Amino acid sequence: MSINVLIVDDSGVMRAMILKSLRMSGLPLGETHQAANGQEGLDVLNQHWVDLVIVDINMPVMNGEEMIDRMRESPEIKDIPIVVISTEGSKTRLEKLQQKGAAFIHKPFSPETIRDTIRDIMNLGGDDEGAD
Amino acid sequence: MRHIVLVGNMKVGKKGDVIVTYALGTSLGLMAYDPVSQVGGLLHAMLPLSRSDPQKAETNPCIFVDTGVPKLFKEICDMGGQKSRLVVRAAGCSRPLGENEMFKIGERNYSVLKKILWKNSILLESEDIGGTANRTVHFDLSTGEVAITS
Ligand SMILES: [Mg+2]
Repeated sequence: MSINVLIVDDSGVMRAMILKSLRMSGLPLGETHQAANGQEGLDVLNQHWVDLVIVDINMPVMNGEEMIDRMRESPEIKDIPIVVISTEGSKTRLEKLQQKGAAFIHKPFSPETIRDTIRDIMNLGGDDEGAD
Repeated sequence: MRHIVLVGNMKVGKKGDVIVTYALGTSLGLMAYDPVSQVGGLLHAMLPLSRSDPQKAETNPCIFVDTGVPKLFKEICDMGGQKSRLVVRAAGCSRPLGENEMFKIGERNYSVLKKILWKNSILLESEDIGGTANRTVHFDLSTGEVAITS
């Protein structure tokens, strides 16, 4: 099994860092797609098979929260696991995201956190019994 | 064979070896293991950056995190290990009670480590970092198992 991932962030540097983290992670990575805002992200989802969406919140045109809402309204893509990576600190906003079933990672992130969060929400388990 | 690694040193070995280091406080203990070739090593580095004393770093790179970590990876590869297969675990980097806040050596050791790992595209498999404890690490190169006690 390999995981096709869509990375949505308005910062190209951030998208590159997330992609590098995924490549380092040892997770079975398939195709990767990138988008610079929520609208572009939805366009990708309409054209490609995606198993996991990693999305920023603050973006121009369409922000991450709205993208997630649109995804949840759309039967073919409503069940795709979502990881939000953002500097967002507002507790109510984070709770809202969790209610929508998204996992949350705070920026700046460590690549280990990305690996562990994805293992967790995609039920991949570890390939190793960690000492922690 | 059993090896003890002192502060500012490292040891690499193979199946059958056990590497031990004591009294990891603010120092970084880094254990790397290639499960396929069953070789690995342990670094016990004391300070974050070699530029604080380049001369010392020249004679003993293992004192510093930024020179010790690449040396550890290189020596493991010289023994037949492969960088892409390394399972890497970190311990130490504590913050002893009463330590001057200004220095935060443990935290700096950890953040320099994370930068070097990022550059090398290597993730930590696990970590036992921070707190106030002094740690002891037993690293079994037959299995790659790491036992940390404090
Ligand atoms: Mg943004």
